[in-house]
Amino acid sequence: MAVHDTRPFYLNLLKIRLPVPGVVSIFHRVSGVLMFLAIPATAYLLDLSLQGEQGFSRASEILAQPFSQLVLIVLIWSLLHHLFAGIRFLLIDFDIGLDKEQSCKTAWLVFAAEIIAMIIIAAGIYL
Amino acid sequence: MSAPGLQGLRPWIIQRITAVYIAVFMLYFTVALSAVRPFSAESWSEWVAWPGNNIGIGMFIIAVLWHAWVGIRDVVLDYVPNVVSRMLVLTLVATVLVGSGFWGFRGLVLVVIK
Repeated sequence: MAVHDTRPFYLNLLKIRLPVPGVVSIFHRVSGVLMFLAIPATAYLLDLSLQGEQGFSRASEILAQPFSQLVLIVLIWSLLHHLFAGIRFLLIDFDIGLDKEQSCKTAWLVFAAEIIAMIIIAAGIYL
Repeated sequence: MSAPGLQGLRPWIIQRITAVYIAVFMLYFTVALSAVRPFSAESWSEWVAWPGNNIGIGMFIIAVLWHAWVGIRDVVLDYVPNVVSRMLVLTLVATVLVGSGFWGFRGLVLVVIK
């Protein structure tokens, strides 16, 4: 890097205005960290659910609690965003959607896909 | 600071291979659960004990833990500049991942044995 860099240097999060691909990218990271945090509880619930009638109903009870439901909604969003943004990154690895205009389009596409998938999942659960 | 052995092509390719397996398995899991609907204690245990599913879930656990390790390691390398803190955080992350892995595998093995 040049010694005298004249570009503005902001780390004020309130002043940074990320372009859409940047938003997809940071959410990819945030969603990944959220799912990482859920790994121990998920492993515990898998193990519990396989421990006969009692374990299974205990696991169901835990998942039915309002707090768990809220966590599940966040995790489902995390999974969907991570999946669709991940597919987009894989395509970029193969030089697909690399230029600025296309990369903005596919970033919007990621958000559209996850919203549609959330609606389909909600409809599947509540209808 | 550069971190020898933690960067380069190997983690990059691991991240992509595990990502594809995770995506394909989750698609299978969603479709299979919607079709079979193993939503009772007995049918769920049966479904998980079936060899194809048991091995598939086992590989899924390994893929997820490995993927999480590479991803979280990148995040830690970005945000924790101090070498000692970095090692502590990475050790904690590895412990949580390996511990969760053993827990998951315990369930997978016990459901086959019993």
